[in-house]
Amino acid sequence: MSTTRIEVKDLVVRYGDAVAVNGVSFTVGSGEHLTLLGPSGCGKTTTLRAIAGLEQPSAGSIYIEGQAMYDAAARRNVTAEQRGVSMVFQSYAVWPHMTVFDNVAYGLRVRKKSAADIKAAVERALDLVQMRHLADRGASKLSGGQQQRVALARAIAFSPTVVLFDEPLSNLDAKLRAEMRVELRELQRRLDITSVYVTHDQEEALAISDRVIVMNVGVIEQIGAPQEIYNRPSSRFVADFVGSANLIKGKVTSPGTFEAEGGTILKTVGGTSGNEVAVRTAYIDLVPQPGDNQLPGTVRQRMFHGDFVQYIVECACGRVIVRRPPVNLLDEGAPVTLSFSPEHTVLLQG
Amino acid sequence: MNMKPRFNWQPVVSAAVIVVVAFLVLLPLVFLVEESLNVGDPMAFPPQEYGFRNYIAMFDEDINVLFNTVIIAVVATIMAILIGFTLAWILTRTNVPGRELLERLMELPYYMTPLVGALAWSVIAGPKSGFVNQIWKAWGGSGDIVNVYGYFGIAWIMALFEGTVAFVMISASMKSMDPALEESARVMGASKLRTMLTVTLPLVMPGVLGATLFVFAEMLGSFAAALVIGIPARIYVITTAIWDSTLSYPPDYGRASAMGLSLFVVMFAMLTFYRWRINKGSYATITGKAFRPRPMDMGKLAWLLLGVCLLYVVLAVVLPLAALIMTSLQRFATVILSQAEWTLANYQTALSLGPIRGALGNSLMLGFGVASVGVILMALLVWIIYRSRIRGSGAIEYLVMFPQAVPRLVFGLALLWAWLNIPIPIYGTLWLLALAYLTVMLPLGVRTLAGVVLQIDKSLEECARVCGAGWAYQMRTVTLPLLRPGILAAWLLIFMACVRELGTSVFLMGPDARVIAPSIVSAFASSGTELTAAMALIQTATVVVALVILFRLTRGVTKEMS
Repeated sequence: MSTTRIEVKDLVVRYGDAVAVNGVSFTVGSGEHLTLLGPSGCGKTTTLRAIAGLEQPSAGSIYIEGQAMYDAAARRNVTAEQRGVSMVFQSYAVWPHMTVFDNVAYGLRVRKKSAADIKAAVERALDLVQMRHLADRGASKLSGGQQQRVALARAIAFSPTVVLFDEPLSNLDAKLRAEMRVELRELQRRLDITSVYVTHDQEEALAISDRVIVMNVGVIEQIGAPQEIYNRPSSRFVADFVGSANLIKGKVTSPGTFEAEGGTILKTVGGTSGNEVAVRTAYIDLVPQPGDNQLPGTVRQRMFHGDFVQYIVECACGRVIVRRPPVNLLDEGAPVTLSFSPEHTVLLQG
Repeated sequence: MNMKPRFNWQPVVSAAVIVVVAFLVLLPLVFLVEESLNVGDPMAFPPQEYGFRNYIAMFDEDINVLFNTVIIAVVATIMAILIGFTLAWILTRTNVPGRELLERLMELPYYMTPLVGALAWSVIAGPKSGFVNQIWKAWGGSGDIVNVYGYFGIAWIMALFEGTVAFVMISASMKSMDPALEESARVMGASKLRTMLTVTLPLVMPGVLGATLFVFAEMLGSFAAALVIGIPARIYVITTAIWDSTLSYPPDYGRASAMGLSLFVVMFAMLTFYRWRINKGSYATITGKAFRPRPMDMGKLAWLLLGVCLLYVVLAVVLPLAALIMTSLQRFATVILSQAEWTLANYQTALSLGPIRGALGNSLMLGFGVASVGVILMALLVWIIYRSRIRGSGAIEYLVMFPQAVPRLVFGLALLWAWLNIPIPIYGTLWLLALAYLTVMLPLGVRTLAGVVLQIDKSLEECARVCGAGWAYQMRTVTLPLLRPGILAAWLLIFMACVRELGTSVFLMGPDARVIAPSIVSAFASSGTELTAAMALIQTATVVVALVILFRLTRGVTKEMS
């Protein structure tokens, strides 16, 4: 496969007796933007650091551009500085004793480029993040958002083919984070880079990736495109962690049909066995549609959120959360019939 | 580039470091334990007869020494905590004018040694010729109005010095208290006073108790004031009793060792208890986050509080230094200016008299040498303890910090006995002093350097590697430039501590290897106060120069970091 840039196979990383990453395998295609998503302690950062060469794995292999960077069987481990990848750190790791220019020029100076080349490349990188006017400023005098941009410029200045991102936006406030997400996506498109991105923010993961890997306790739960992860969660963990979903208990009566607690029969997609279905709160309609699964109930609580309204509806199978656009509001206590497509009724593999 | 199956050197390095540090830190104490059980000929090694007579004798014959020790330590601790609490409250909770400058000034007493303080107060408040008594007589008074040569005098000098330690500890606990805790009491309807009694005090109490315990332990082991003031007044405490029993003929090392070990055990237990309390963190006010509580508006009273702060600085620093300067510039010290005969002869003598000059030179040389070698060794230790993932790094850390719990004097005694009996002839030379200084400075240096190393985010180094830099390039361009201010600060602190060192030096100094602090003590006992004052001031001046550089440096660093 000539289009595979990174290949991680059966990777295991141990810290003493604890296993941080327990047999993880995936590939990243050329130009692809892959995100490792999961709660803290799920092994996503450890996996990323192993790719960078900052953690010593104990088994498995990591290949970049077909070259073995780590291979337990061949007892091969290339040091971080010789892997040729680049990385943006969570803490930015902008060197406080250097100017912005010196920070960005570091990777180029290590590679012994000529002064003119360095100047051109640094200015190009600073332009991309709109920081050129601060080139001579000491790095310790920058705001968080500016440090973030410098870290980004430094990571791309020496034209690496692979850039690793370790929760780069987690220290920014919500508004700036949303802005930077847009810029990052734009930057990824403009530069021909392959990126592996780590985050615990599911919204961010869905927004900026071509493909998402959901991890939990050191193993991969699901790999897929953002829509796939959202629409067809394969496990309770994924349904719960990514987006907001109702989990309805019950049992499978025949392939494709599910009897929820309280006796309602639902048509389902997804797995073949299990005792729970997931229904996204955004996919539930309050007006019955033909061909849909339907659940009668009563509105218990209405909360107005601005961008949406959240209802808690008491049904025979328990409480169901519904999010609708803030129009045609229902009152608390009103009877209602919930309606959702079988396509969005996903049986979770149990 | 390849991960070849190579020799795993980590356990070897780790074991080697543990052995060397244990040799420096623990071995002397082993000798001390053995000698304290020696009831035969005290000079024989190994002992011909073992027993507990030395310990029993301590309670039998020296019970008054133990009594003195406790009385003085209790009185001094109460005074020091009162000083510390008052200053901490003024500087963290009130709008006293010039707060930031004052906070800096409060550190000064710490850099005055207790030895200098004791000399100065004997000049100020000694009987007959003390300055205060001179003035009293000039005004027509009779007899002495003050006399520092007593229990209270010793405690007073110790309290002035330790007051700043108490201040730092108590104000840290006041600063780390979330102001919201008090504000919520106010919102619930509690008055200022009620808030103070029901919320503030209970929250600050653990900090105050911790400081009390720590200061009391330090008081038990303090030596300089008891040496300068206590011996002429015939008031012996345990440290001076240890010192005294090594001076008798034949020197009673067994008795000294028993007393030293007992002192060590008591202090060690107290400090361990203190650390355990702190680590338990039963009060969640200590979040490590520094709050700046909203200061209370004191109105005109703020100026009075300013006066209280300045009074402490005057008593602990300005007055002692002024008295010493005045003394050092006269032929016969007097505060009645019309009778004064001004002269620079004392400085001339101090700088030209062979033994004194030699002692000063040796101290400076030891300071330079130990600081320079020490900083490299300690940086290495810090890296091994905190950055390498070596097995046994916890044990190394514990060993390195151990000398902190041993009173200097006891450590000096232990080294003396150890090196009298280890067949390497460095006793009585500067080499042993250097080795001793290096060992007792370990906690200071390692703590200072660790503070800097731990502040440096690991990803700053990792980022350099990912950018393609090799280990050496990364060290040169990232790690060392970031560490430089910390390394310089550690160097200066060690240098200062070496030039001031007294407790260990008194035992290890030889006729050909004199150092300044013990020389000042013996000059005080044998020649005049005037010459002693000049010597003490020369020593202080060296420390001040280092201190000025240090302040410059740390201010630059904090500016750069913020």
